[in-house]
Amino acid sequence: GAAMMKSDKQWYQRRVRGLLTRASSVFYDYATEQFTTVKVDGGDCLVTKVGSLDSAKRFVDPTTSKSFTYNFLKNEASEVEEVPRDTNVEGWREAVQSALKGYLDEVYPAHVSAVYANLADDMINLTICIEDHKYNPANFWNGKWKSKWEVSFPTAGGHSKVTGNMRVQVHYYEDGNVQLLTNKEVEESVQLSSPAEGAAHIVQFIKSSETAYQIAINENYHKMSDTTFKALRRNLPITQSLIDWHKLQSLKVGKDIMNR
Amino acid sequence: MGGEDDEKKLEKALDLMRRVPPQNISKHLAGLIDLCPSLTEELLSAVDQPLSVKLDDMKKENFIICDYNRDGDSFRSPWSNIYYPYISDGYLPPVQLRTIEEELNSAFKIYADMYYGEGTLSSVYVWDIDNGFAAAILIKKTIQGTGCWDAINIMEVTERLGRPSHYKLTTTIMTWLKDDDFGMNLGGSVMRQKEDDIASDGGHTVNIGQMVEAMENNIRQQIDGIYFGKTRDIINGMRSLTSLSQKKNLTAGLSAELAGALSKRKPLE
Repeated sequence: GAAMMKSDKQWYQRRVRGLLTRASSVFYDYATEQFTTVKVDGGDCLVTKVGSLDSAKRFVDPTTSKSFTYNFLKNEASEVEEVPRDTNVEGWREAVQSALKGYLDEVYPAHVSAVYANLADDMINLTICIEDHKYNPANFWNGKWKSKWEVSFPTAGGHSKVTGNMRVQVHYYEDGNVQLLTNKEVEESVQLSSPAEGAAHIVQFIKSSETAYQIAINENYHKMSDTTFKALRRNLPITQSLIDWHKLQSLKVGKDIMNR
Repeated sequence: MGGEDDEKKLEKALDLMRRVPPQNISKHLAGLIDLCPSLTEELLSAVDQPLSVKLDDMKKENFIICDYNRDGDSFRSPWSNIYYPYISDGYLPPVQLRTIEEELNSAFKIYADMYYGEGTLSSVYVWDIDNGFAAAILIKKTIQGTGCWDAINIMEVTERLGRPSHYKLTTTIMTWLKDDDFGMNLGGSVMRQKEDDIASDGGHTVNIGQMVEAMENNIRQQIDGIYFGKTRDIINGMRSLTSLSQKKNLTAGLSAELAGALSKRKPLE
């Protein structure tokens, strides 16, 4: 009776809470992995693991130096607060951000980026996240380009390795479901003597890597289309004409065909 | 009430499946079934999964397994007409249908060889429908570590006394290509349908063969366009290989030139 119903309700609530808890960590992983963009006080910002303040829903945007609470389901930011900048690293961070913007404006129609910096054990750690996407649900497609660059160097400067990861994703789903995924890792050591000079070198490496990668993707498309795809199925038999099914039908249903 | 709920759930589930990465269809399907076990049958039949293969021990040949040759947990081989794992009471097509099935199997074996070549497997399964029969014509081509093409052609044939037969073909092609060295993975599925009325005095093999051949050729062309054209355009739309400001200047330059050329033309007499 009523007692049964109450415990049913409690069981259901517990189950939903459990699902939501599991779901929220899935949302966190997915959103940060995707470099999801969100409007914070009118400007576009990134949701990334590097920018996470609590591994849950508080994030920081280093460009505006604001922190916010991110609502994964609604893709909305709230509880925006000013965050004091770290003067130990701001010189380098700002130099990289400024050099980066010049490059991004040149090639990405709709880029959103973030340059994170922190100081640990006398080493400055920089992480650069870049994102550009095109969503076109009306025509059943969407695409995303994202790249992440990391470098660590002593506060006095030096010659350090920059590592990068570039990922492109396209999804086309009209009368079907097609997805392209590409992924590449690169690295190079660059000279970092001063913020302005070091920033220029870092951005130059990013620019040449991303440009080369885009060219290589286009070339690989050629290769896949001309070689791999053709090897999967020809567009016509070797005779260069459609099959004569009357001839085929009149062939004896012989043992030699069935036993091939 | 439960039925209506289920219908809405199925609609949403299928909508979700359309949007998940095709490379992970099996995993997502399993997850969906976990969430809505009451929809298992509908989901399994509505979402096309990659084709699996079984060995016919007797004929020493592989065959493709699917819902259309399944009885419980066993699958019927088109070569020996026996179930694997063996069951004595599995459904067997009536003699006339088995004859059509054998003929279609040998015809499509040749078709597969001519279009797909080495490393291809084909299987055809036939069953009764009202006033006719249906055939599942399956083709699987694999290039180890590089690519895969699974074709599922469902052909419904309805015979009408003294009139052309009606053919309805639903074709789903699932294909993926990858280049591990480069780190590129392109995959997905495309589905099309076509219906036609064709005289069938000489039997159905020719009509079925011609329709499937035309359909697969057409889809192949569309896949070429989508995979290698459309997705590539989308990528190049997200990042420009030439400077965006240069592009703007180029357009502005062209407009100025055009305006100049037009202003120099003599007025028409």
